[in-house]
Amino acid sequence: MEASAPHVPPTFEQLMLPHLDAAYNLARWLLRDGPDAEDAVQEACLRAYRAFDRFRGGDGRAWLLTIVRHVCYSHLRRNRREPVAETFDDEAHGSMHDPGEANALAWHEVKSAQLRDALDRLPAEFREVIVLHELEGLAYREIAAVAEIPVGTVMSRLARARRKLQTELLALAGKEPSHGL
Amino acid sequence: MDCNETHRLLEAGTDGELDLVHQLELEAHLRTCPDCARRAASLRARHTALRESLPRFTAPPQLTEKIRATLRAEGAPGPARRPAPRRSPLLWPIWSITGLAATLAFVLFAGYAWGHARARADLLVDDAVSDHIRSLQAGHLTDVTSTDQHTVKPWFAGKLAFSPPVTDLATDGFPLAGGRLETIGGGPAAALVFHRRQHAINLFIWPATGGALAVRQAERSGYHAESWSQAGFNFLAVSEIPADELAQFAGIFRAKMP
Repeated sequence: MEASAPHVPPTFEQLMLPHLDAAYNLARWLLRDGPDAEDAVQEACLRAYRAFDRFRGGDGRAWLLTIVRHVCYSHLRRNRREPVAETFDDEAHGSMHDPGEANALAWHEVKSAQLRDALDRLPAEFREVIVLHELEGLAYREIAAVAEIPVGTVMSRLARARRKLQTELLALAGKEPSHGL
Repeated sequence: MDCNETHRLLEAGTDGELDLVHQLELEAHLRTCPDCARRAASLRARHTALRESLPRFTAPPQLTEKIRATLRAEGAPGPARRPAPRRSPLLWPIWSITGLAATLAFVLFAGYAWGHARARADLLVDDAVSDHIRSLQAGHLTDVTSTDQHTVKPWFAGKLAFSPPVTDLATDGFPLAGGRLETIGGGPAAALVFHRRQHAINLFIWPATGGALAVRQAERSGYHAESWSQAGFNFLAVSEIPADELAQFAGIFRAKMP
């Protein structure tokens, strides 16, 4: 299903530079370090540029974010700051639809710093789905394209990431779940 | 919609991922069920907390300049890729160790990029197949139910920015059953529904502005897909009928397209 290019394609800079903030935000959350994130985005842009003749049009942001993600994961693996690409079975962790659990936490009382700490404590695979969905506003399908996983896995991983985030928040707050808002 | 189905769909609904029909049914249920409405409010509070309290980091101004400089060093503008002089101070160790390492990395990446283009094409098929399965599961095959192409085609007017070609193939054994709105690859698409015996064929149609689809057959866990491009539209037909029957359908539709 290769695509052809029926029109004059925009340049690399026109297509990719508008997405630098999204690229940097993802790298910054994945690597948890500003200078590392800058290096990662720079390398990702270079890789993207070299492969640009194979870009088939479509969503430039998803394409760039996919490459940023690969660069970040390589970096995490090299530096072994945390276990990455652990084999985890998204489907083996219970129901992906359990909205009732959100009741266990009074979200409007959560402090920004706590939320940030809690997200930083999640494994990279969970951080990224939260960042892509909640901060970058990517739809399930766009996240599926960036993370190269099926949409169903995006849904279950996002649900699991939210539960883990809530667990971390409760641990940070040092309190038991209180029901109701 | 009952409470169980509401629980199942609530998270996707809060994320804005439901089709219009289910979203409206969900909202109707929430208006009459205080328990589910409380759950929904809690999910919205979580959504708001995450969106408003987590920092979205923005690229430092010097990063844009560094990237522009790197691209110029690569010989920008132009999409042509050529072996670049190694600008090691700006890059990571793997690129600066030796030219051999860089070449190796490049070869690996070329393979990755090829796989990525392939993965994008596969993703469209994944999308279409999951749309097809969901339309069957949810019992929501059609938003407009009609065997008359002159009813189905105008129904799309005003709902899509394009007017999909609609033709009935009843005389060829593929009667038109109706149509609905779908999303393929993140963009709006028309889904035409045809029947073949007791089976359904979903034909997804969207403008080929992002690139034309090549003629290709694919298979996903027993479902068959066939893609083609014609008259400025991309077509992707999905069904559980055998691949040769689907190919027959695609051939007839191509030949009879208005």
